Amino acid sequence: MHRLPTGMYLPGDSVIHRLDSRIKLLALFIVVVSILFINSLIGYEIMVVFMAVAVFLSGISLKVALNSVRKLSWFFLLIFLMNTLFYSTENAWFSFWKVTPSPAGLMQGLEVVLRVALALIASNIMTSTTAPMEITNAIESLISPLKLIGIPTGQIAMILSIAIQFIPTLSEETDTIRKAQMARGARFDSTKMTEKAEAVMPLVVPIFLAAFKRADELSIAMEARGYRGASGRTRKKFDPLKYQDMSALAVVIAICAVLLIIRLKT
Amino acid sequence: MKEMSVVKKSIITAVCLALCVVLPQAFHAVPNAGSVYLPMHIPILLCGLICGWQYGLLAGIAGPALSTLFTGMPPVAVLPAMLVECAVYGLMSGLMMKLIRTRKTYLDLYISLIVAMLAGRIVAGIARALIFARGSTTIATWTTGYFVTSLPGIIIQLVLLPSIVFALMNAGLIPRRYPKSAGLRL
Repeated sequence: MHRLPTGMYLPGDSVIHRLDSRIKLLALFIVVVSILFINSLIGYEIMVVFMAVAVFLSGISLKVALNSVRKLSWFFLLIFLMNTLFYSTENAWFSFWKVTPSPAGLMQGLEVVLRVALALIASNIMTSTTAPMEITNAIESLISPLKLIGIPTGQIAMILSIAIQFIPTLSEETDTIRKAQMARGARFDSTKMTEKAEAVMPLVVPIFLAAFKRADELSIAMEARGYRGASGRTRKKFDPLKYQDMSALAVVIAICAVLLIIRLKT
Repeated sequence: MKEMSVVKKSIITAVCLALCVVLPQAFHAVPNAGSVYLPMHIPILLCGLICGWQYGLLAGIAGPALSTLFTGMPPVAVLPAMLVECAVYGLMSGLMMKLIRTRKTYLDLYISLIVAMLAGRIVAGIARALIFARGSTTIATWTTGYFVTSLPGIIIQLVLLPSIVFALMNAGLIPRRYPKSAGLRL
């Protein structure tokens, strides 16, 4: 089974590692929304410089930061080509059937690829510098106001934290089942798309059976230990936000504001 | 087997969320498999069918978001539209299973699945036309994207999902919808 292309926590003691996980999650959301605002060269330049600084401050290597981008390079190429060849017929370099490569299509392709790549890098920085349990604690804290309208935020946070913990387990299970099916003649290495797809089908039912068996065992174990739901459960008490946390959030908000102003003026 | 507890439904939802991340990775050995075979929809629909509309809705919202966070797919640009689509899948599959009682499990499953798939696609199409892709969504692109391209995925879901539900019932991992002792046909 292929390694997940992103999202692996790398322990460290960098500036970004030490930030509060709630601030990092909020900052990620603001940065991703800001990326969607950008519609000019200067905007992209600002965001690229900001990402470069963030990568430097996070202490992760450029190779790790760009890992997810490299893993999806075929997808980026496909998106770039689709936009270049089919986006616009204005000032097309040539025309053949529905294929009309044009400067507008080229720019659109580059823009889409850059936006997705920047969002991936931002997400990678966050997940590389924040432990999965810290992410779920942060999510629980940030959605806690929804309790006022009757949404069980504690239960949602518990479900998310168990889901995150199950990901590597089920990933290994899938790999084991895949190898077992290969031993029975499944052709995952076939170059024919139909054979590859047929080979994936016998994976699905055994994966679900194995996953649900684990779920059954875990629920029995939790109920045997007295767990009856998230109400009354104690949870992590966050330390008060420090000066560094508020400063980091202020910087991110300022950059978002600058990008918004640039967008409104162009 | 009696009705599932809140704890069990929560754990099953967590497992379905994890499968939203893991299953597409298995399918992505096949080029463009995500939009053709729709692997992420399978655990979301299953969660709604088995656990109910609240858990299905959560799986539909959190599944694609977790997958984007941990694997980068679906890309952030298409995540909002996909969130809407998957949320409706989970919600409607659970609602329909609650409302429909034909006393035949297969029939309940198929009706719920077809209604959920249609509702999800209609709502997603409206959301794209009004919000996410204003001006570039037509009936033709909607039909192509949501029905023609993903026809293999639709067939896979209609074939696999009832099979998975019955496999889980026969393994005793989820309760039977109509207990055999009631003398009702499956």
